[in-house]
Amino acid sequence: MSADTVTTVRPAGYGLVRTGRRGSFLLHRRAAGVALGLAATLAAACVAYLCVGESFVAPGEVLKVVLGQPSPDELVVGTLRLPRMVLGLLVGAAFGVAGALIQTVARNPLASPDIIGISQGASAVTVGVLTFGVTSYTVLPYLSVTGGILAAALVYVFAWRGGLHATRFVLIGIGFAIALRSITTLFMTKGDYLVAQQAQIWMTGSLNGRGWEEAAPLGWTLLALVPAVLWAARAQRTVSMDDDTATALGVRLGRVRLGLVLLGVVLASIATGAAGPVDFVALLAPQIARRTTRTAQIPLLCSALLGAVIVVLADLAARRMFSPTELPVGVLTAAIGAPYLIWLIIRSRTAGGTS
Amino acid sequence: MSRLTARELTLAYDDRTVVHELDLAVPDGRVTVIVGPNACGKSTTLRALGRLLKPKGGAVLLDGAELAKIPTKKIARSIGLLPQSPVAPEAITVADLVARGRQPHQHWWQQWSQEDERAVTDAMERTDVTALAGRPVDELSGGQRQRVWIAMALAQETDLLLLDEPTTFLDIAHQVEVLDLVRQLNHERGRTVVAVLHDLNQAARYADHLVAMKAGRIVAEGHPDDIVNAELVREVFGMESVVVPDPVTGSPLVVPGAPYSPAPQAPTPTPQSA
Repeated sequence: MSADTVTTVRPAGYGLVRTGRRGSFLLHRRAAGVALGLAATLAAACVAYLCVGESFVAPGEVLKVVLGQPSPDELVVGTLRLPRMVLGLLVGAAFGVAGALIQTVARNPLASPDIIGISQGASAVTVGVLTFGVTSYTVLPYLSVTGGILAAALVYVFAWRGGLHATRFVLIGIGFAIALRSITTLFMTKGDYLVAQQAQIWMTGSLNGRGWEEAAPLGWTLLALVPAVLWAARAQRTVSMDDDTATALGVRLGRVRLGLVLLGVVLASIATGAAGPVDFVALLAPQIARRTTRTAQIPLLCSALLGAVIVVLADLAARRMFSPTELPVGVLTAAIGAPYLIWLIIRSRTAGGTS
Repeated sequence: MSRLTARELTLAYDDRTVVHELDLAVPDGRVTVIVGPNACGKSTTLRALGRLLKPKGGAVLLDGAELAKIPTKKIARSIGLLPQSPVAPEAITVADLVARGRQPHQHWWQQWSQEDERAVTDAMERTDVTALAGRPVDELSGGQRQRVWIAMALAQETDLLLLDEPTTFLDIAHQVEVLDLVRQLNHERGRTVVAVLHDLNQAARYADHLVAMKAGRIVAEGHPDDIVNAELVREVFGMESVVVPDPVTGSPLVVPGAPYSPAPQAPTPTPQSA
């Protein structure tokens, strides 16, 4: 058939979005559908989050507050619940994307920032400076990002043997995670009792008492990283193939991998800096997203949405389950995540693979 | 004429030199097959031709320019390569995988064009995988999967196509099918093909240009009719053989020497009592 009679609809399972004269973007249909569903779920979860609490606020009033109209529930919803929810949403999205990127590069679902030492590196540095007197929330995020990147660099260097082997990368990462956890504990026993207690709560991952001061800078940073994430979504396609095939297709594999890992590390670290290491979100979200969308690579948008849904719902539960005592959200995510992790390991061993 | 050449190419893994100062000119528009015993450096040479391995010495030249100095995406528009055991992303569909062969022709903002559509449709038709388009690659049989990978390499639409043992893991019918496809592509589209093959007889059947390697060096090269004889087989594989004309194609057919059979022995008396 001749070129001008061909209608461009392939490859199967994808939709085509045209922009301008030359722009064309492939959209995985099922992933797009799942994303829409997740967005709706997230919206519902957010409304529930804002309504439910010590005192119930009707959805109508919640909507008024969100839209900035005067309402008697301004304080409860607007000042207490909304900023905390926004922070949870952002943290979840950041962890979801971070996990997706690092799992893609390592080709292993266990290679999540909270398993291979990145969150722990961010924690060690943060708790270290907390116990030594720095408590400014403007400095802490930067320090935790530094900690995360340092930990990732160490794991990378030690795992490198003329190439990056996924299993070695994960095992060395787990080793570092344990070592960094002990260092953090050491800092806490050395530090002032009250600060140590605060650090303990931070370390479990908590949204308690957090607000716009943490949410706003995180939001702006994530917004600034959106172009990088869009690049990553495309770059993931080739990195998910074997090295030889990807190279033969003209991909500069070394650079692309480094770029993806770096972006993942930065996202995980800033999220950790804002809310502490909310465990297992980075592991769970990408894996569930991939299983539901059945895409060949982990869908980033779905991972982000799912991460946000998980954290918002987990924090809602953490707030209400043992009310009036509030649990740190990290306890809840760990309670869901740990069994999933065990299942993942059992499954990968019986399947004889790691993905 | 040769777009792709190797000049004094020395290849090594760490300190172990595998290929020594090899000179090779890949004839344009022909099927070149590299043969040789295990670990003779044939796959290593192919990898270097496809810039998957950096030369320790010498260079691979594409249109006279050193591969190492050409942007890798630009190389990918001229040279396609199918590795020995490519790995597909989990759960990827056939159409999706074949479409990824278009990678070097696409941009971030231009992920699908009519040209991509045409190339992918064509590649899938040629390799007879159109009917499998929506199936996950990991559910296919070995022969089907290999055809899908070849389709991906074809969709890349390069003048040069490098194939690293494309028939391994395939039964004989599928081996012949794949090699016939390669030959057809070469004839109808004038594609230059370089393949590493294990089987000397298949090599002699399908090659226009045969390169025999041993211990990292080229022992002989030329048309199979001119170079394949018992002496070459002895030199390269260290095996006695008889070379006869192939009853179908007339190309040289290597028949190995007599197989092991127990020498006739005097019957040993069985002990009656012990």
